[in-house]
Amino acid sequence: MGFLTLDGLTKRYGEAAAVSDVSLGVAKGEFISLLGPSGCGKTTTLQMIAGLVEPSAGRITLDGRDITHEKPDRRGLGIVFQSYALFPHMTVAQNVSFGLEMRKVPRAERDTRVKQALALVQLAALADRYPRQLSGGQRQRVAVARALVIDPPVLLLDEPLSNLDAKLREEMQFELRGIQRRVGTTTIMVTHDQSEALSMSDRVVVMEQGRIMQVDAPYRLYESPATPFISTFVGKMNRLPGVWRQGGIEAGGRLLPCDGAGLAEGAAAVLAIRPEKIGLTAPGGGVIDGCIKARFFLGSAWFFTVETSAGLVGVSLPNAGAEPACEGEAVGLAWSSASAKAGRPEGVLSA
Amino acid sequence: MSRMHRNGPIALLFHTLVVGFVLAPLVVICLVAFTPANTLTLPTTQVSLRWFAAVFEHPDFVASFLNSLWVAAIAATIAVVLAVAAGLALDRYDFRGRAALNALFLSPLMIPHLVLGVALLRLFALLGATGSLVWLTAGHIVVVAPYVLRLVLAALSGLDRSAEQAAVTLGASSWIVFRRITVPMILPGITGGWLLAFINSFDELTMSIFITSPATVTLPVRMYMYATESIDPMMAAVSALMIAVTAAAMLLLDRIFGLDKILVGQG
Repeated sequence: MGFLTLDGLTKRYGEAAAVSDVSLGVAKGEFISLLGPSGCGKTTTLQMIAGLVEPSAGRITLDGRDITHEKPDRRGLGIVFQSYALFPHMTVAQNVSFGLEMRKVPRAERDTRVKQALALVQLAALADRYPRQLSGGQRQRVAVARALVIDPPVLLLDEPLSNLDAKLREEMQFELRGIQRRVGTTTIMVTHDQSEALSMSDRVVVMEQGRIMQVDAPYRLYESPATPFISTFVGKMNRLPGVWRQGGIEAGGRLLPCDGAGLAEGAAAVLAIRPEKIGLTAPGGGVIDGCIKARFFLGSAWFFTVETSAGLVGVSLPNAGAEPACEGEAVGLAWSSASAKAGRPEGVLSA
Repeated sequence: MSRMHRNGPIALLFHTLVVGFVLAPLVVICLVAFTPANTLTLPTTQVSLRWFAAVFEHPDFVASFLNSLWVAAIAATIAVVLAVAAGLALDRYDFRGRAALNALFLSPLMIPHLVLGVALLRLFALLGATGSLVWLTAGHIVVVAPYVLRLVLAALSGLDRSAEQAAVTLGASSWIVFRRITVPMILPGITGGWLLAFINSFDELTMSIFITSPATVTLPVRMYMYATESIDPMMAAVSALMIAVTAAAMLLLDRIFGLDKILVGQG
């Protein structure tokens, strides 16, 4: 089994279950993201692992040891809070040193380890500053150093990047992942940002209404979402309703080719396809024709909304350096049947 | 502070009047303290320290001043201890009678000191506890504790609880969290509360009249007793000294923590 395992973990507040029956095995050194919209129970799950919230049912084991009811100050886990939760009356070095003091580490060793931890997050020069004198990104690094200096078996990150502006968030994503790789600490991160979860994790755990919906590597999660909810929550997804015929879905008077194992002829179905799997052609050259309603330039890509007889379709094309089709232009949409999947209207989409 | 606007002429006039109205009596009494005359007059031709000297020639005033200082310091300190404990309970725990307890702790602010004085006088008489400095201090604690509690509660509600959680997960016991994280983080509230309590106790008159004995007369009571018999510039000198003590405390606090932060509760 895993290094850290959750077994039927449940938290009820009165009648309502914030987390129900969450089971998960995390391997040593793995980076796991708990992804979901707010209120899906991901933070509660993290807090139960940290020991800050008492589970109503279930078991947590760490390296074979049952820690379900162990006090948080005995678990020895490293936690980075959303607000960073630095001690405002202590300097950066004192903040980082706190956990070592609690462990009665001798003075000299403490100093060396604090220095190493601050060097790891590139803050060695700011050791004597107070948190209020630091920028958001620097506070974040202090919080990471403070959590890592105690050599925790597991590092817990609660929305660690949500308080940073967009540019910094992107940089910190790579940096956090880099630090985690170097140190090799098993890490669990809570986030509502799908791109963060995809880019940083070894595996992503998608949660909805207190339950785990899917656990998968980022790439597989994106390509084979288990539910319609996941398909639209992780990345963009076009969903065109129609009727299943042999080899495709009939919608808007056309047969749209797609992969539809297990569907009965004539059954109501929905075609799901990612915007970047669709290409633009001359009218009549694709599987369906349409007219460009809107066009957005995103820097590395162009995004089009195309009005077709089957409904509105989003199309994403990489920026090839030349200006593509304009708004109002008639175009054809092309895709290979392997990249589109058909499913029952409220059913499971995965192949 | 970037949102500060310049005052219009009418607002400026109004503010000047308000500030003037607040400051004028204090300025006048301080000036009168320096008069060489035997009556309460503004010194015009020369200034004199004779009335300040007169204060220190009255041993009963000196003793009362020391009484007041002790009572205020001890009452404020004990009130802080009680208010921190009560504040933590009120802020963090949801229990039966929480609202009632909160109201009870704050009720001394609403009960006239005169009523409190009479009530405590009866109570102390029943207990056979009149005339001691301990019971006088106890009375003062009742009066000043609500001030401390208000400021401690404000500080606690502004506290980021995740800092405490962080300390716990780093291995700190609850006592260490309290001592090394919670107390330092609400320290501005605690000091501000202590100072307000000290000042309120130091100039409390109405209740103290009832519960002081000849041996425990506080400075305001002494002044009141003296003033009922005669008014001379020595009263002004005592007042000036009291203002000086208070102002010194305020200045000190401002230097250390910033008064805005304490009294307005802005971090």
